[in-house]
Amino acid sequence: MSRTYDILGKVGDEQAFRQEIRDWLAEHMPRNWRTEWQQVRGSALKTEIVKWLEARRAVGLGTPHWPKEWGGPGLPFSYQIMVYEELSRADAPEVEMFIISLFHTPATLFEHGTPEQKDKYLSGIIHGTDIWCQGFSEPGAGSDLASLRTSARLEGDHYVANGQKIWSSGAAHADYCLLLARTDPNGKRKHDGISYFILDMKSPGVEVRPINQITGEAHFAEIFMDDVKIPVANLIGAEGNGWNIAQSTLSTERGLLIFGEVERLARSFELDGQAARDTWMRDVQFRREYAALYGELQTVRLMIRKLLIELEANPDKASPTLPTYIKLTWGPFLQRYTEFLLRAEGLETQKWQPAIPGTGHSSRLRFNDFLNSYGWTIAGGSNEIMRNIIAERILGMPKG
Amino acid sequence: MSDEIDIGVLAESFAEFLGAEWPREKAVAFARGDAPMAADLWAQAGALGWTALTVSEVQGGLGLGTQAAAALHEALGAAAAPLPMLGNTLAVALLDAVATQEQQDALVAGLSDSSQRAAMASPGSAVIDADSAELNGVVSDVLDAPSATLLFLRGSRAGQPVWIALPADAAGVTIERSLLADTSRSLGTVTLQNVALADAHVLADNCGPGLDDELLRLAGIALAADSLGCGNAVLVATIEYMGVREQFGRLIGSFQALKHRVADHKAALEAARGLVEHASALAPDAPGALLAALTAKQHVTRIVAEVARDCIQLYGGVGFTSEYVPHIYLKRAKLNEVLFGTRTVLLDRIADILEAA
Repeated sequence: MSRTYDILGKVGDEQAFRQEIRDWLAEHMPRNWRTEWQQVRGSALKTEIVKWLEARRAVGLGTPHWPKEWGGPGLPFSYQIMVYEELSRADAPEVEMFIISLFHTPATLFEHGTPEQKDKYLSGIIHGTDIWCQGFSEPGAGSDLASLRTSARLEGDHYVANGQKIWSSGAAHADYCLLLARTDPNGKRKHDGISYFILDMKSPGVEVRPINQITGEAHFAEIFMDDVKIPVANLIGAEGNGWNIAQSTLSTERGLLIFGEVERLARSFELDGQAARDTWMRDVQFRREYAALYGELQTVRLMIRKLLIELEANPDKASPTLPTYIKLTWGPFLQRYTEFLLRAEGLETQKWQPAIPGTGHSSRLRFNDFLNSYGWTIAGGSNEIMRNIIAERILGMPKG
Repeated sequence: MSDEIDIGVLAESFAEFLGAEWPREKAVAFARGDAPMAADLWAQAGALGWTALTVSEVQGGLGLGTQAAAALHEALGAAAAPLPMLGNTLAVALLDAVATQEQQDALVAGLSDSSQRAAMASPGSAVIDADSAELNGVVSDVLDAPSATLLFLRGSRAGQPVWIALPADAAGVTIERSLLADTSRSLGTVTLQNVALADAHVLADNCGPGLDDELLRLAGIALAADSLGCGNAVLVATIEYMGVREQFGRLIGSFQALKHRVADHKAALEAARGLVEHASALAPDAPGALLAALTAKQHVTRIVAEVARDCIQLYGGVGFTSEYVPHIYLKRAKLNEVLFGTRTVLLDRIADILEAA
């Protein structure tokens, strides 16, 4: 028997708020999404995810972390955390194709976009089905992102872009791209002269080629740009200020996004141990390893909680260093844990299965989760870059 | 009282005092002697009220909780201070939990004002038969026994577990010291030969497994905090050294192969801090309090032992000399790792708790 849910109306009463989300999830979360989504890819998968997103929108949770001003529910930060906690706990599907749309694009436009850009593009996300991708990395500019070479030359009322981007998640289905390109090749430092654009992926001269990954999936793609015209109105912020704006884009990965991932893993960590009661939990070596990994998991969860508490108290005063420590701890932990499961669960884990989209790193398809763990050790600034940042910027050690 | 004291300010005051009174040079020099403790420093700590930190206000103490104790032990670890503080921290908790009013009145004041120093037998140590009027037995490897004035030993009376609180100088008590690699603490084997037992010596109420767990919880947090202090201090010293030592015409701190190891250590220590903070913030009877403490103990003491191990390597040749400080921290960290239960014992217990959840 369906009822009306008023989740947002419960703000002010944490218990009632959580309970309303739980009740709603129990009725409206797609039941067999894990098995069903395993069979679909591309536009069919998009249809499934959009259905789920629509269901969330109907109760005001389409974009739980967005402010009211831009069509979000304007939830207090602690309630945003509760939403993501409850979604993770219920094993609700992730809206993976829309991650950039829901997190990176608003993080960029809220702060740096023109009123026209906000109106047009944020409404295409909040009411529509626009998929965004990110055009940052290049074949010659991965960890050393600032050395990117894609160029954008001003010609009257538009820029002309040429170059190649790589590791762009979801580019094959994307409508728009957050693009970094060099507008001034003569900048003093390599960070200078980079500008930030909105690229319409349907523009003539844009070509997308999927990249086949070690998981058998093709989430990533290369984007080739050959004399692509980008209207001047699509420049975000001032020309040459792209590097700074990109920091806003990337900062979004450090809060709720990683929190949701880690809480989801914490839930599956618990389930994994319970499911192994009669198998590897009876093996003293594996049992101890599991207990030790529990400690590592807790370090990550506690750091994230500390960061969220700081962000809630005052985003400007939150620790600038904690996100770096979190990234350098979470990725390697995830890799060790998913690798542990391959050893503990043995041959069964070696049998190949298609990935389950929407599960993050907790699909419980062991080999897939293990391989996907590199997403946290290489992507978003490889851990080697994190180590340089810690050593040189945080600890002040001499530059090499 | 506990509401009025900011733990951060308290921690700063510990660090400031120890930084001035027990700098690295003193820690290095102390390690060359064979004193079981730094007696002057102990007296100063007592005068500052550090030994009264967790003593209840009724008994004239500051009435602070586990967070304050953790802050103190972290500071002691950071200075590698040769003080037998763990025994006092645990004895105060033990007396608070199970001693009669008379026993508390007789014993707590001395611990609080630092005139008494307690040594506590660890879990699994020998159980002394307390049914007869005279005690006999051997309890090996009691931490801080050589510098203690009060001994807390495990006993059994009428088939029930009890604790025995004995003056270290009671007739028939001998303490044989074992020299340790870590010279900032001491270890001794206690032998009891026809020691007269009075009822006042026996703590008999509620000494069951719950009490053992509470002592283990507190010891685990204190040792994890001590190690956290050790780890941060040895890493700071190492980074300093790497910023002045040159090889091949460059500061060794500029070599990426070395500084990436330092970065990993720093991240591991920052991660470890959360475990200590979380475990010490939970009330003793909160769900998950024991799990959090055991997890902090096994994880923090392990990663700090590894950080300290690598710091000697990062120093290079001088790290192998007794002139430089890293060996002090390595030895202290290695002792913390095995005190009150080795890691495998703790991991088995953690797995049990996780399975029962």
